[in-house]
Amino acid sequence: MSAARDSLQAQFAGLLAWERRKRLEQTALVMAGVAVALAIVLLPLPGYFPVIGLRWLMPLLLMLLIAPWFFHRWRWRQQDATRSLVELDKTLNLAERATTAWELSSRETTSAVDELVFKQAQERLHGFAARRVFPRQWHWQSYGVGPLLLLWLALLWFEVDRSLVEQSSGAPLSLAHKVGEFSRELQEKAKSEGLRESLKAGQELEKMARKNLEQKSSEEQLKQELAGMAKKLEAAAKSGADKDSFSAGESQQSLQDLKAELEAARDLLNFPDAAKGTRELPQQWMDRLASLPQLKRQMDKGAQAGPGLGPNEIKSLLDRLDQQATGELDRRTLLDAQQFLEQMTKSGQARRNENDPRMDGRGEQDGADDGGVKEKNHSNLPGKEPGKKDHGGLPEFRGGAETQVKGLLGDGDSSAVGFKGKPVPGKSILGQQEVAANYRRQAEQELNSERVPEALKETIRNYFLSLESGEPKK
Amino acid sequence: MESVVDIEKRIEQARRTFDELRSELGRMIVGHAELIEQVFIALVCGGHCLLEGVPGLGKTLLVRSLGEILNLSFSRVQFTPDLMPADITGTNMLTDDPSGRKIFEFQPGPVFAHIVLADEINRATPKTQSALLEAMQEQSVTVGGKMHRLENPFMVLATQNPIEMEGTYPLPEAQVDRFFFKLLMQFPSHDELGRIADLTTAAPPSALREVLDGSGILQMRQWVREVPLADVVKDYAVRLVLSTHPNSEANHGGASLAQRFVLYGSSPRGLQSLILAAKARALLAGRPNVSFDDIRSMLLPSLRHRLILNLEADAEGIGAEKILDELVGQVLEVV
Repeated sequence: MSAARDSLQAQFAGLLAWERRKRLEQTALVMAGVAVALAIVLLPLPGYFPVIGLRWLMPLLLMLLIAPWFFHRWRWRQQDATRSLVELDKTLNLAERATTAWELSSRETTSAVDELVFKQAQERLHGFAARRVFPRQWHWQSYGVGPLLLLWLALLWFEVDRSLVEQSSGAPLSLAHKVGEFSRELQEKAKSEGLRESLKAGQELEKMARKNLEQKSSEEQLKQELAGMAKKLEAAAKSGADKDSFSAGESQQSLQDLKAELEAARDLLNFPDAAKGTRELPQQWMDRLASLPQLKRQMDKGAQAGPGLGPNEIKSLLDRLDQQATGELDRRTLLDAQQFLEQMTKSGQARRNENDPRMDGRGEQDGADDGGVKEKNHSNLPGKEPGKKDHGGLPEFRGGAETQVKGLLGDGDSSAVGFKGKPVPGKSILGQQEVAANYRRQAEQELNSERVPEALKETIRNYFLSLESGEPKK
Repeated sequence: MESVVDIEKRIEQARRTFDELRSELGRMIVGHAELIEQVFIALVCGGHCLLEGVPGLGKTLLVRSLGEILNLSFSRVQFTPDLMPADITGTNMLTDDPSGRKIFEFQPGPVFAHIVLADEINRATPKTQSALLEAMQEQSVTVGGKMHRLENPFMVLATQNPIEMEGTYPLPEAQVDRFFFKLLMQFPSHDELGRIADLTTAAPPSALREVLDGSGILQMRQWVREVPLADVVKDYAVRLVLSTHPNSEANHGGASLAQRFVLYGSSPRGLQSLILAAKARALLAGRPNVSFDDIRSMLLPSLRHRLILNLEADAEGIGAEKILDELVGQVLEVV
């Protein structure tokens, strides 16, 4: 065997080994990409795994699953070796000397012409380094792996897989999941309305649910814990009731309206001309304060408002009312939560929405869609605020099936809120003052949210105030 | 036993011979460099050429000059409709022997030469054309039951006029297939025409120098066959030939020109020509092996006359060249 042939064989072996390695890397990368893409497509699947941690291993498991097919499909074949040699010829302009030499070198006997081919190929391949001539080249599939992996991690991090499972499966949620979801909603509501006790309760409930899920404790144990928590909430609500002087007949909506009006009233007091060093507020501002219906009612009830009050007295009055309204809302939310927990404790299958704190007042809003001006009494809805017994608001009794009504029923004031219907041709029966007040109240609620830019809040308030005074601003 | 050095020397010798031949012919023939190369390739492969071109392009001059350079015997037969087979092959003549007895003596025809120019071959009757067939294929003629061997090397260079078809007998497919190459003589360019005018209207050039003899050609024929061919290159040639067939799997999805316009694709003889010509080209280029480029370069002269096209191709003006060009673009070197 000639030296040229030996040398060539070594070079060809090096080239082919390098190409095989590149193929292997490429296969692994593509496989990883496909596995991650599959993991994204099959995102809900890990939700059914018995061990939660396994969901993080999903792409790895899929990769193991598809690996045999990929390694078989993209296995190194004789044609691949030939293709590599032809590519070498093309790159170095060897006119197929390398390919011919490679084929001839595999024969047992060689002629003088073959040796000449070896010689010429070796001369042209002197100093050839496969890694330098044919560096790694990443295809688009390779570049897709990173973003796909990030996407998959993000989906898992935000637990999209679990929510998909919950949405797709017809099976009811576990008690811990229900409690967890309820606690999150409770916290959201408490944060938005500044209900401290409810926020604490929500956090505790979430901890409880998470602990149960992580430790895989039994549902019975969770029920016991929930029962304890329900008692705790009841006690907290009762202690809150002792402190607050608000009537139990105040509806949820009226309390929320009151809070919005208090906010507006505070802003009115902060106007420069509202406190021009005078001890007493101008009559004009007092009139405007009086146009806030809920606030006016509370002031009338306590006979606390009058032209003799100065700004500081008004402010302290507003603060007190705000504190009372917040306390009452907090107490009612705690009661709602307590009722929810009691139901969970008893059945664990109660529908979430019946006690969903975010659903409060939904009935009122739904009623507004019905069209026409109507009034609806909410005070006696089960699980809501106690009030006067109103048969129209109670669930309809159906023979045969036992109907259990929750909530505190008793005597008390009933509040009513007027709703506007869709505009119909004809004369309006609502006075302008009333319409403007309603709109302003809605605007105040919106202004309390973060959707309205801070810089525009003042302009919006001024606009609605001017509407009520009958001088629209342009 | 030959050594690598001997092989290098002979490859170098082949390349130098071809260069000399080209430069010597260049003194007499203006342009047609590619055609000259292809004729020489056919010669060293032992094949025959069918030259197609309008009159006056120098076909006869080329063949005659080639005969002079190679120091080979040269004969020319002008094919006409009344030409008889015996006019080509020769015939037995009744003569007197030295003792006065009447005997038949074979008088060899013009085919008994190293290089035979069959001018306007399509003007002769099929019977006469067929007489040339045996000579081309078997390199022998049989007259009066006796076979006579032809010269070696033996090469037929037939010409035909592609325009004037009246009173002609188109060569049958079987006969066309026996030509190693079909070469097209292109009209010279502006510069070439000027040089032709200079060359032919001034004093005649000095006599051509002999650069190769018969034995040299036979030796080169042997060398050509020893040029190694990689399997992958051979496979490429095979797939190219297969793809000329309309029903071949090598054809791409039925949308190719071959699928639409070819009635019959190339014969296996076409593949033989292609590979042998590619080997000769490699040798003349001073290379010890065949490349893909060699195959591609030899595809048109080797296969253009072996594709039988349908009437639709005729109607749409599609030639074999166009089909082969498309196939070169479609067929992959390695699969």
